[in-house]
Amino acid sequence: MPEEEGQGLHQTRPEGAARTGFVNVQRRITIDPVTRLEGHGKIEIFLDEAGQVERAYFQVPELRGFEKFVQGRPAEDMPQITSRICGVCPTAHHMAATKALDNLYRVDPPPTAKIIRELVYNTFMAEDHTLHFYFLGGPDFVVGPDAPAAERNVLGVIGKVGVETGRKVIAMRRRWRELIALVAGKTVHPVFGLPGGVAKRVTPEMQRQFQEVAADGVEFAKFTLGLFKDVVLKNTDYVDLILSDLYTHRTYYMGLVDDHNRTNFYDGWIRVVTPEGKEWKKFASDQYLDNVAEHVEPWSYVKFCYLKQVGWKGFREGLESGIYSVAPLARLNVSDGMSTPLAQEAYDEYFSVLGGKPVHHTLANHWARLVELIHAAERMQELAADPRLTEPDIRILPTESPREGIGVVEAPRGTLIHHYQTDENGLIRKANLIVATQNNSARMAMSVEKAAKGLISGGDIPEGVLNRVEMAFRAYDPCHGCATHSLPGSMPLLVRVWDPRGQTLGMLRRDLDGKVRRE
Amino acid sequence: MTEKYAVSNALNSLLEQPQCGSHKCSVRLLCLGNELLGDDALGSKVAAQFRRFALPDLDIVCTPETGLQLLDHVVNVNRLIVVDTVVTGSAPLGTIYELRDTAVPRVPGPSPHYVGLLETLAVARELRLPAAKQVCILAVEARGCLTIGQDMHPAIVAAIPDLIQMLRQRIGTKMVEFASCGEETTAIPIRNSP
Repeated sequence: MPEEEGQGLHQTRPEGAARTGFVNVQRRITIDPVTRLEGHGKIEIFLDEAGQVERAYFQVPELRGFEKFVQGRPAEDMPQITSRICGVCPTAHHMAATKALDNLYRVDPPPTAKIIRELVYNTFMAEDHTLHFYFLGGPDFVVGPDAPAAERNVLGVIGKVGVETGRKVIAMRRRWRELIALVAGKTVHPVFGLPGGVAKRVTPEMQRQFQEVAADGVEFAKFTLGLFKDVVLKNTDYVDLILSDLYTHRTYYMGLVDDHNRTNFYDGWIRVVTPEGKEWKKFASDQYLDNVAEHVEPWSYVKFCYLKQVGWKGFREGLESGIYSVAPLARLNVSDGMSTPLAQEAYDEYFSVLGGKPVHHTLANHWARLVELIHAAERMQELAADPRLTEPDIRILPTESPREGIGVVEAPRGTLIHHYQTDENGLIRKANLIVATQNNSARMAMSVEKAAKGLISGGDIPEGVLNRVEMAFRAYDPCHGCATHSLPGSMPLLVRVWDPRGQTLGMLRRDLDGKVRRE
Repeated sequence: MTEKYAVSNALNSLLEQPQCGSHKCSVRLLCLGNELLGDDALGSKVAAQFRRFALPDLDIVCTPETGLQLLDHVVNVNRLIVVDTVVTGSAPLGTIYELRDTAVPRVPGPSPHYVGLLETLAVARELRLPAAKQVCILAVEARGCLTIGQDMHPAIVAAIPDLIQMLRQRIGTKMVEFASCGEETTAIPIRNSP
């Protein structure tokens, strides 16, 4: 979401614009849109004369005008503004913005306020991860990548796991959402974060509710992981798919860890490990500009983040390339373990089965997400049992003059950074957001290209290829935050083939009824 | 249906509780859109207009949520009337569509991962939740939904009075009930932009 100037971020530009010529000399495939569930985008695949994939691009429209819109507004409005911009993970933006305000006013919230925030945040993570596993990742793994197209959808997932299980998923999700609303005011637009604390106390009755739901949440998380093992890990085809080179990239990884290098969604150090799994750097959130830069490509609105000291070396993996990844796979790779017992058990099994650290298999994100689901549920239980939760001291009023503040959390989709600069009255002069999908954008582009190159040969594009290419980025749970809505009839899925002279040779179209037609 | 993965009886208590968050009502006006995103603000503008009227039997919900996040809003209601923007690129800005939906279970959508409003309704029905029996969708052709803080296009603003009038008619009249799965959904332009 950052504006052109990048808020001091170092940007590189491509060496030349030669790629723009590809359109005229290659055959071209367009998959548009990828999905509109969480923003929309398209994949463009360019074929050479032999029908082989030469390049593939993952393109998304980016929200515009953020910096201009917030200029001159009170910094205290940012938790509400940023959560309203994003209809997908408003709680993550609300929390990152609130932490940026703490930093802006140089105020350290009291322990009870931090416990309340982390409790709400883990509740949100549990809900979001559950939704993703069952309804977004589910078609790939619960139903299966090679299942008939008519079954590879949310209803197919319900058919596979059973209606009663589906009802439990919905009921669990509802109870988590009700708890968020209980403390944060609303689930859509939380209003509880304030610089220096939170707006509302947790009463003993609310604590009892949290404890009850947290206990059910742990059971639910265990059940979900069990289902994953049953459906996915017992299926050698699925395991082979996860481990296949087609969905593997050896990149750097980034995520928040606590003082003991264990995963923490709410707070901690930003830790980066190399493709070999060694710690490359661990730094405080206010040092992100020293470590992260952005690269611009002419074919995308998205700026591609990379590690500044390693440098931008193109869309390449390996130790010499600064491309890194965030999200569940990355968070487990950067951590030395989990702070809760069941999650630690799941963490150990995850790395044991997948061959040790780091895991480079993109599709393992789905499994890592469930390890995190268990952690979120257990962490809820820990926090809900903390006797300090109901204490009255929930805010320290800021007294310092504001100047600059940075707040970082781990959103469900990865590291989320909010950075504000204000005048002495606390009015925003500059604001920069680095969202999770932006951190992942370079690796996602590589994933799409690798899948396309591995799956499309000789110009032959079977329908199943579309799904397998989509799977390459779907595991990242990409979110472009625009939360636009879609009505039927407006957005079919297209694969268009162009000849070297720019003439359409044919089109593969997947319509709203799920049928694939050739035109 | 036999449960294939019913491994945890401890979770059965979940089924004894209400399955969704919204309170029971007869008619709900569900206004979709983001007030900060240009033309996508239409839903919130319409909701604000209706909140000025005294309509005690009407539940008005305005949200920027999408996909399965809408689940709470499509259940516990008999009739659901939806207002949204739509970008087809094939009609003038401000064109109003009425979606005479006769096929709720429209999955899969354009992608196996796609979950839109109608897929969410299908999920609610599949899970035997108290989903809306009748649904009417009024959508306005829009274009600029990606610029934060941008005003709605004048053609969208100009469509609001007619849209309000149509909504009042739909709220006060019985809507066509959903038919069986598999029939075509038709989006019929019923008012063209000037």
